[in-house]
Amino acid sequence: MNPELLAYAQMAVSGGLMGMAYALVAYGFQLTFAAGKAVNFGQGELVMLGAFIGLTLTGTGLPYWASISGAVAAGAALGWFVEKSAVRLALKQHNEGWILLTIILGLFAVSAAENIWGREDLPYPAPWDDGSIDIFGISVTWPELAVAGGALGVMLLVEIAKRYTMTGIAVQAVSADPDAAELCGIRSDAATSLSWAVSGAAAAFAGTIIAPVTTVGPTMAAALTLKAFSVAVVAGLDSAIGLVLTGIFLGSAENLAGFMLGSGWRETPGLVLLMLALALRPQGIFGKTIIRKV
Amino acid sequence: MKAFRSILAFLVALSLPSDVRAADVVKIAVTGPFSGGSAPMGISMRDGAKLAVSQINRRGGILVGGKKMQIEVIERDDEGKNDRGALIAQEISSMNDVSAVIGTVNTGVAVMGDKYYVQKGIVKIITPAAGSASMTQWSRAGAADLPIFRFAAHDGIQSRMVVEQAVKLGIRKVAIFHDDTNYGVSGRDDLLFQVRNQAGRLSVVDIEKFAVGNKDMTGQLIKARMAGAQAILIWGIGPELAAVASGKKKLGYNVPLIGGWTLSMSNFIDTAGPAGNGALMPQTFIEDLSVARAKPFIMAYRQAYRVARIPSPVSAAQGYDATLLLAEAIHEAGSTQPSKIKAALENLTGVVKGAIADWKKPWSKWSPANEESHEAFRRAFTVMGKVQNGRVVLADPADRAVLERGPGK
Repeated sequence: MNPELLAYAQMAVSGGLMGMAYALVAYGFQLTFAAGKAVNFGQGELVMLGAFIGLTLTGTGLPYWASISGAVAAGAALGWFVEKSAVRLALKQHNEGWILLTIILGLFAVSAAENIWGREDLPYPAPWDDGSIDIFGISVTWPELAVAGGALGVMLLVEIAKRYTMTGIAVQAVSADPDAAELCGIRSDAATSLSWAVSGAAAAFAGTIIAPVTTVGPTMAAALTLKAFSVAVVAGLDSAIGLVLTGIFLGSAENLAGFMLGSGWRETPGLVLLMLALALRPQGIFGKTIIRKV
Repeated sequence: MKAFRSILAFLVALSLPSDVRAADVVKIAVTGPFSGGSAPMGISMRDGAKLAVSQINRRGGILVGGKKMQIEVIERDDEGKNDRGALIAQEISSMNDVSAVIGTVNTGVAVMGDKYYVQKGIVKIITPAAGSASMTQWSRAGAADLPIFRFAAHDGIQSRMVVEQAVKLGIRKVAIFHDDTNYGVSGRDDLLFQVRNQAGRLSVVDIEKFAVGNKDMTGQLIKARMAGAQAILIWGIGPELAAVASGKKKLGYNVPLIGGWTLSMSNFIDTAGPAGNGALMPQTFIEDLSVARAKPFIMAYRQAYRVARIPSPVSAAQGYDATLLLAEAIHEAGSTQPSKIKAALENLTGVVKGAIADWKKPWSKWSPANEESHEAFRRAFTVMGKVQNGRVVLADPADRAVLERGPGK
């Protein structure tokens, strides 16, 4: 292949693989939005905490998989805590206080991380080879593949659970109509809490798979929340496949913009995409227009 | 009344010793980034300086005008941020009892903050910030008198060594990578100047900029490779340097990485891992126990701070030697007044045995036409270091003589 084209392909592939991380964080938004019509604006900070907790557990000599499981469990607990402390009351009172409250919890998380782990960017050891493999002249590293594989795997797992387990179906029922679900004997509060816990677990897992590529630091996820939110809005808040496609597209577009226009322009495609989506398809590219019957 | 008088006498007696003690203390401030991406340099510099202070205090302190005075250190963390650095400089220069300041890692902090020290005439020894702008800002402003001194191999020296190293390796085409801070931009300009001095032996085929915090350098590296660069000359700090090294490895782009002394930072070496091996950078000090001059300092540092490896050996050794020089100047000045210390630093008569060298009159009277008057290091003092399996070693074993003999000046 012509070297110029190959360079573009390389940038698109690298970006697309990392874009899967955006999709996974955005998936966390989607889960909580479906259940309670609220999202956690501190989702990026849960990603960061997940990475730090995983790193700390690895440091105690636990095997890699055990430390990831620990981080995921902690993420679930944190997600559950965010819902209990910041979201539930606001939603019951039908106000938008949860927006500010989740942002505040996120800021707390950054301060806590700075005090516990310091402000340094730390390397995150991963068990896979740190070399790269060559696919038609495009270099891909194992940690990058782990990001993509991990993101897809988690989303697939949750989607299957949603469709084929009693609990999953109950959560879907609550998301469709909480009052009707209650009448059928489903505890809608419990279903909402569960969605937040799963969302937190997904964020923490995202942290542990991104960190070997980006290193771990209190500000590692500062930009991530915004990008994942763009992905969630552009894709629409009810299609997991839509998130993956949008995430890949955004990641590639960022890399290509940085490559062609200079690294200062990296962030623009996400913002342009967000503005276009809001203007042209507010329900999201893969979203459904919901007609509410009164 | 009698009782009152005796109580008064008692109170006076009680307050006297503390007054006397206060006068027996020399206050110096140590400032730098003790957190954030530049922290390995800031912490090592601070700990090197405090090691010197504790050694001096253990011997009774500095002899000033026939009286032994203890040194008291005031620490401030500027986080490597220009605005915080400026605030700290304002704070310290408004304290009336600080005799001198040692520190600053980030060139931007020196550019933003040092003017407050200059206004108040407070002595500052910049170490280990190497960016040219820290001193050229004063020659450009035509300052007639300057209390700012530097104790680091400045980028003028470093960029020349980096370019000469590329020529020595037989390289004809290079790419320049730099971060978007004051340090990175001034480093790029120094490199371009040095390449021009090579009169066509070397050409710059690509210049790439990156932001602090950027972890993916694939794009910049692909462009450098497409332009045919045979080496990357780089000016940045640890985390981003590591991202470049990892990106090179990922793309299988095996060209030499040569850059400023920041390539010796622990957060470059640790984060880059094996990808960092072979990186070349100028060093004023190498953490090598087989160098007789360096050994006592290395042992004392490791023991005092319980580390197996100094996070940034150059910063630590420079912080240590700068503090010894400052103590000598306070002794020779016979005063804790900044103006007298400044004059003493410009005319040091004693020889100071440091971890890097035996220092003989490292600075001279400031002349705005020649920043070198307030620069302690020369090209001949500096050696090339190389990253090898988690440590920095001498790139050229023949340079051992430079480290042993110690240049002094």
